[in-house]
Amino acid sequence: MSTGQQTEHELYRSEPAVYVYEAPVRIWHWVNALCITVLCVTGYFIGSPLPTMPGEASDHFLMGYIRFAHFAAGYVLAIGFLYRILWAFLGNHHARQLFVVPITNLNWWKGVMHEAKWYAFLTKEPHKYVGHNPLALLFMHVMLVWGTVFMIFTGFALYGEGTGMGSWQFEWFSSWIIPLFGQSQDVHTWHHLIMWVIICFIIMHVYVAIREDIMSRQSMVSTMISGWRTFKDNRAVDDED
Amino acid sequence: MTETFYEVMRRQGITRRSFMKYCSLTATALGLGPAFVPKIAHAMETKPRIPILWLHGLECTCCSESFIRSAHPLAKDVILSMVSLDYDDTIMAAAGHQAEAIIEETIEKYNGNYILAVEGNPPLNQDGMSCIIGGKPFLDQLTHAAEHCKAIISWGSCASYGCVQAAAPNPTQATPVHKVIHNKPIIKVPGCPPIAEVMTAVVTYILTFERMPELDRQGRPKMFYSQRIHDKCYRRPHFDAGQFVESWDDEAARKGYCLYKMGCKGPTTYNACSTIRWNEGTSFPIQAGHGCIGCSEDGFWDKGSWYARLTDIPQFGVEANADKVGATAAAVVGTATAAHIAASAVKRAMQKDAQPGSQKGDE
Amino acid sequence: MSIIKTPNGYDLDSSGRRVVVDPVTRIEGHMRCEVNVDDNNVIRNAVSSGTMWRGLEVILKGRDPRDAWAFVERICGVCTGCHALTSVRAVEDALGIRIPPNAHLIREIMAKTLQVHDHVVHFYHLHALDWVNPVNALKADPKATSQLQQMVSPAHPMSSPGYFRDIQTRIRKFVESGQLGPFKNGYWDNPAYKLPPEADLMAVAHYLEALDLQKDFVKVHTVFGGKNPHPNYLVGGVPCAINMDGDLSAGAPLNMERLNFVKARINEMVAFCNNVLIPDVLAIASFYKDWLYGGGLGAYSVMDYGAYPKVNYDKSTDQLPGGVILNGNWNEVFPVDPRDPEQVQEFVAHSWYSYPDEKMGLHPWDGVTEPNFKLGPNFKGTKTNIQEMDEAAKYSWIKAPRWRGHAVEVGPLSRYTLAYVQGVDYVKNQVDTSVAAFNKLAGTELGAKSVLQSTIGRTLARALEAQYCADMMVDDWTELMGNIKNGDTTTANMEKWDPKTWPKEAKGVGTVAAPRGALGHWIKIKDGRIENYQCVVPTTWNGSPRDPAGNIGAFEASLMNTPMERPDEPVEILRSLHSFDPCLACSTHVMSEDGQELVRVKVR
Repeated sequence: MSTGQQTEHELYRSEPAVYVYEAPVRIWHWVNALCITVLCVTGYFIGSPLPTMPGEASDHFLMGYIRFAHFAAGYVLAIGFLYRILWAFLGNHHARQLFVVPITNLNWWKGVMHEAKWYAFLTKEPHKYVGHNPLALLFMHVMLVWGTVFMIFTGFALYGEGTGMGSWQFEWFSSWIIPLFGQSQDVHTWHHLIMWVIICFIIMHVYVAIREDIMSRQSMVSTMISGWRTFKDNRAVDDED
Repeated sequence: MTETFYEVMRRQGITRRSFMKYCSLTATALGLGPAFVPKIAHAMETKPRIPILWLHGLECTCCSESFIRSAHPLAKDVILSMVSLDYDDTIMAAAGHQAEAIIEETIEKYNGNYILAVEGNPPLNQDGMSCIIGGKPFLDQLTHAAEHCKAIISWGSCASYGCVQAAAPNPTQATPVHKVIHNKPIIKVPGCPPIAEVMTAVVTYILTFERMPELDRQGRPKMFYSQRIHDKCYRRPHFDAGQFVESWDDEAARKGYCLYKMGCKGPTTYNACSTIRWNEGTSFPIQAGHGCIGCSEDGFWDKGSWYARLTDIPQFGVEANADKVGATAAAVVGTATAAHIAASAVKRAMQKDAQPGSQKGDE
Repeated sequence: MSIIKTPNGYDLDSSGRRVVVDPVTRIEGHMRCEVNVDDNNVIRNAVSSGTMWRGLEVILKGRDPRDAWAFVERICGVCTGCHALTSVRAVEDALGIRIPPNAHLIREIMAKTLQVHDHVVHFYHLHALDWVNPVNALKADPKATSQLQQMVSPAHPMSSPGYFRDIQTRIRKFVESGQLGPFKNGYWDNPAYKLPPEADLMAVAHYLEALDLQKDFVKVHTVFGGKNPHPNYLVGGVPCAINMDGDLSAGAPLNMERLNFVKARINEMVAFCNNVLIPDVLAIASFYKDWLYGGGLGAYSVMDYGAYPKVNYDKSTDQLPGGVILNGNWNEVFPVDPRDPEQVQEFVAHSWYSYPDEKMGLHPWDGVTEPNFKLGPNFKGTKTNIQEMDEAAKYSWIKAPRWRGHAVEVGPLSRYTLAYVQGVDYVKNQVDTSVAAFNKLAGTELGAKSVLQSTIGRTLARALEAQYCADMMVDDWTELMGNIKNGDTTTANMEKWDPKTWPKEAKGVGTVAAPRGALGHWIKIKDGRIENYQCVVPTTWNGSPRDPAGNIGAFEASLMNTPMERPDEPVEILRSLHSFDPCLACSTHVMSEDGQELVRVKVR
């Protein structure tokens, strides 16, 4: 962005608040967050089970419950994801942003660089965004779209192994995903590894959301609760379409 | 005079009446009407035993050893009455050029009509001369015999996937059959070795129904490889209950709890061990107290220790698995985040000190 | 070509007609044999070549020592389990792990079950067709066969004329079908077959009986190890925990029913060895009393590490004691130490490997395995289509192990020679009784030494060893039950299961009396991983090529000076080679990773 543009922008004052996240997006976000938490915790305990329960097998169903919670959360996450895709078509243009990354737009890439510098303390001030900042969009798109797709596909492939040949889960997922990775164990390993990648993302996501809430020029955490983006200054925004 | 399927059945004490019943059952199973029953009966009365050439590449002969352990049908009945095992260098009487001549005779007499059974696999390094048959690479014998066969049975994990000699770094470049033979139907019967009764069942299925068994995407017969060991394991209730063996010979091991924590590969292994079991249904590895090592899965040698739940990821060092890699990454991210928080706080404090109210000034 | 005198006393003359047998069938793995016969069709030069290798020792480098047993178990599916046992012993030796008595007894029962199974399958299904002519059995009189059966083995129940008639009918139909299957192109009109039709029919009947029964013998492995071939083993003990009457014992690996099941199988093995195997071997041998060829190094220069201790870790209680006998001197037995770098050494002067100095041998702990597939200047054919080997150069994938430089034979005959010479009562009694029985049947008056030093002696020793192992198992089972009765149900020692408890560097050796002879594994462990792993297996000893001094190995020695009825039909060669029960997948070593790729097929 040229300096000239910036001065021009300064002439126009932004709205004090914009309605960004519609209710369906907000509900999805929090349900998704809950699902991921449940999936990570139960997933970890499927890989490394809790200490043995003494007594009769029929008195307990601990692994059964852990796995049930994992599968239930997995289904909710998958259905939620489909619903989120649907809302990308039905909702406002912010609802589409997560799915559409302007990778051919040089200015957008400059925005990515600018945000990266902001986090590296190399620039004094971040840009001001109504939607996601470019760096956030890049990360969220990779993790929440492709990461989720990967986990849904590998997850259903593993689930289909239990429901067995002839089940739709097996036919749609396991039958081709298992051989694609080599064998079942490889799918388990990848599913497990990507879980950790998502955990890393969540650490950053939560931290950055709070930090942005404090240090950037727009609201963050509250926006995902109320839907309204508020701003700390009234200079022009940088991502006006 | 050539002995037919019918004569074989009669000799084994089966009456004409039950033979005809068998033919009509076969007709029904094949989806054919009653008019076909006499035709099937006629074919069975005149059909010679199907010839099999059983070749051995780089292998350990465990597949042959398993085959002769079959209880139903008995190996002797398969060899004497069901098929014509014309070449199998582990049991054949002839040796040297008399043995080699049999391959040529079979190709000539039964071109396109014999079954090629392969145990082991061809190595490609050293010009293929790490497995020499008749002074030539085994690969020559394999491709020659495969060219004229009707179908190929890849016995065991060697022929199906490569098995132990193909484990990293695969010094001989041992290569599974389907990677060198491309134009023939191949049935993979993996396992190290496969269960005896599974092997004979695949053969008798082909003989009885005169067709290949239905295969899954990886070319394995669905009738034996469509479920994991875990799905039908008798210790499964202990898995669901969260009851695990924690150390060898502990109380849980004596009670027959689940071996999941001891690295059992039952949850990722497709085979019939927990249903058909081994050696006439006597037992199977988990019942005998050791976890499954996953011997019927592709590349099972390189998926980490038999005793580790999580697969090794050698790219991250010899002791790495998904949890170790992931937890390390999460720790790095967490530490970086903490550092960033501190840096941000310092920066913010410095900005506030240097230019108090500078942002407000704009408003 | 002139005659070459070998240091171990053979005159090799390669001027006569060359006969090539490739593949040698009815063995485990792939092997080639070439001989020169003189004008009287007597073998005057013998060349045996191992024609496969798989590189398992390279594959083992860097892996968890606790996993090694499964890799090396796949060296061989015929002697399944013996490499696994050797491996866990080597690892336990390196790490100083002592296994509980129950684990020792269970392993002993598994090892001896393998001996019985392997020896029975070897005799009937790999070896018998060298002596027995199934086509000739069609001429037999079932009634006379029945009488023969009752004469050689009165206790065997399957002996009625009707039984033999049924089997004869089955064979007739099979032969008349024109599809001879595995018997196709056999040497059925060769005069080397000497049995009367009745003995042939009896042997064919037992070929089928043994085929049915062997599958039951191995169920001992299925109970203890979960499957067979390739049962499971465990460093530190055995994985099959014992729970006789505690909570949930019904689902335990071992309970009263399981142990009774094992006992029933042991009883079957004892009965089969007593009533079928030993009588058959003696009966067949007596018909071949004039064919006492094939001795070679057998009962002459022999070695074994010793096996089956009554008290674990006490070699002095070995029920088959080890040692070395050289040059037929039964009065002196040298002790063997597999750790001594001067004793067991491997040479590669005639093997497709290279050493820095090929005149020297290397102890397995320091073993080097560099491949060097090179054919000598006088070989005939092309590199991928060998017509004749040049034995003056490298000619085998098998290395040449030597004991203090001496070529020795290993195997049941070697163990029996050592046990007989060292006065093991059971063995002395067995050998003396069976030699007497042989003399009675054959009408000869031969001593133990002359019967044993032959192909027949090798086969007899194997059968006797099967019988001994079956009997020893009865003792082991009883001792196991005694331990359990006394309240000891421990089956594994887990003190050093965790690699954190291991020393930074360790090395160990494990030995086992494998069905084919003395088996040793040498392991070096560093930082919890395998640094070096070397196996020296029985067929490496027996099938070894010449060493730098020119000594020929046991296979080659056994073929020397044997007359052949028809050089084109290698019945006599097969007979002597099979008497060793060759296992080529076992014997052949490894190569490094940098072999050249063959680009003649498209791999996808």
